[in-house]
Amino acid sequence: MNQLETPIAHLISEDVNVWFGERHVLRDVSLTFPVNQVTALIGPSGCGKSTFIRTLNRMHELIPGAGFAGKVLFNGQDIYESTVDPTTVRLKIGMVFQKPNPFPTMSIRENVLSGLKLSGRKNYDADDIVESSLRRASIWTEAKDRLGDPATSLSGGQQQRLCIARSLAMQPDVILMDEPCSALDPGSTRRIEETIQELSETMSIVIVTHNMQQAQRVAHQTAFFLAEEGTPGRVVEFGSTDDVFNRPKDARTNDYVNGHFG
Amino acid sequence: MENLQTTPALPALPRPGKSPWQIRDPKNTRSMILASVLPALLALALTFAFNIDGSIAMLTIFLPIQFATAAFVGFRIFGRKGVADAGLVIFTIFFSTLVGVLLMSVLFSVITEGFKALSPQFISQNNVYITSTTSLEYGGVGHAVLGTFIIVGLTTLVTVPLGIALAVYLTETRSKARGTVRTLVQAMSGLPSVVAGLFVYAALITTGFTKYAGWLGSVALIPLMLPTVTRVAEEALRLVPVELRNGALALGAPAYRSFLRVTLPAAKSGIITAVLLGIARIIGETAPLLLTVNYANGTVLNPLEAMASLPTYIYQNLDSANDTSLQRAWGAALVVLIFVAIIFTSARVATRSKTAKKSSKKVVKK
Repeated sequence: MNQLETPIAHLISEDVNVWFGERHVLRDVSLTFPVNQVTALIGPSGCGKSTFIRTLNRMHELIPGAGFAGKVLFNGQDIYESTVDPTTVRLKIGMVFQKPNPFPTMSIRENVLSGLKLSGRKNYDADDIVESSLRRASIWTEAKDRLGDPATSLSGGQQQRLCIARSLAMQPDVILMDEPCSALDPGSTRRIEETIQELSETMSIVIVTHNMQQAQRVAHQTAFFLAEEGTPGRVVEFGSTDDVFNRPKDARTNDYVNGHFG
Repeated sequence: MENLQTTPALPALPRPGKSPWQIRDPKNTRSMILASVLPALLALALTFAFNIDGSIAMLTIFLPIQFATAAFVGFRIFGRKGVADAGLVIFTIFFSTLVGVLLMSVLFSVITEGFKALSPQFISQNNVYITSTTSLEYGGVGHAVLGTFIIVGLTTLVTVPLGIALAVYLTETRSKARGTVRTLVQAMSGLPSVVAGLFVYAALITTGFTKYAGWLGSVALIPLMLPTVTRVAEEALRLVPVELRNGALALGAPAYRSFLRVTLPAAKSGIITAVLLGIARIIGETAPLLLTVNYANGTVLNPLEAMASLPTYIYQNLDSANDTSLQRAWGAALVVLIFVAIIFTSARVATRSKTAKKSSKKVVKK
């Protein structure tokens, strides 16, 4: 991927710290997510990547026993300020989960529109939103003749792209993806990567992945997380994907991206 | 690339008649059949020869011989493991048959005896001017059916929203009092029904607050139905995957909309089951109704009055211990049984339709 051209950042985490119960799991994570860039979060299991991505749209606080300190600035506004309603944050910062989770009681079409219904939005052109969202998630050709079918009739890869379409229908500024391809086969994975690349022309994307090649293929910048024995997870190295993979500054990053551990 | 070879596709073959695990040695099958038939014949012969009582013969002659022959055959085919296996198989079959026979005999007597009293007029007429000597051609349980519907209906009207609300509280919130509430609800399921009736009787009737009335029966039934509805609905809500709730919340849905539009529809069939099982739990309750509703011979539709119900109708007719009265009691018992059967069947249908849909979806996927 190309070198950064210092674009404007609209999502910034400042000294994010996370606890589960009394256990400190993330320490002082400060990252900048520039507009229309893809950021990959890599690192071994249990280093806090998924935990961190969930702090970016306040899904983190839904876990029982979760604690938090620090700031997450979205367009300059700290989303953890007491006056901020978490639901409005999630409207602008969408999320795609590791396991495809379409709503099983709804059809494909209803799934795409579910976010609009769930957030109580009115006056929208349903047909238009369904088509454009499904097109942008590159599942329109497969789904257009069976919009009324239950969402669970789709294959796993199609379900995941439907979940992406469902987030896109809300027209978020940022999409967070927590290992979106880990449950999918190589073909579906490629489709989703292509989708990510197309989406990054109009929105920022943060993606957690265990797949180094995937990070190199899709991400403009990469953050390497590591939790060394008994210490909370933190960011060891953060920079352009090219630098992190080809010219790592830290020895541990070098070991990880070259497959020496993890 | 030219060096790569292609393996030709192979045609499909017809399936063989039996797969390896389905093939049995006919010699073994023969000895197994012999081991199951012989003890029964032997026991029958001995019973008749010495004129022994049937149930004693069953336990002292049939069972030991059956164990012995089964163990012998088991040993011959499978060695020492076969003995324990045969013993367990005989044990299981014998006791499950015993329980099955007991259940069937109850059903059989209710159905055969009840059928004698059953007729269109038995369902539609009430008990006015009917004495213990009146012929079965007159009178019926119509008033009791309506009374049961009203009493149980009122209870359901109160308990279902309350029970579901409790289930939602237990599954969807993170309140610290959940443990206590769950224990209380569970403790409620151990409440003897007569105590529930007695409480209402003591609190509202002996104090002169009101006379016997249908609504008092409904009140007494609430604590009996509530635990069933709450527990089953709680299980149903708990089964909805957390990923679905998170999916809805991540789209910016407020918690209540996420619950109403995603969690509740996903748990629908389970919640319907909860309601039906709750109704089945209370439809046959007698003691609380005797203490709070009393009975009536005429058709009473006003829940502020004493009214009839199926269980109290049965009780009332057993009390007079006359042949036609007994027949009426059997008939009413059959009507209750039919209602419960209808409720349980609809509960099964409500839960099955969901799994059936799921399996058909899987077929579509391929």
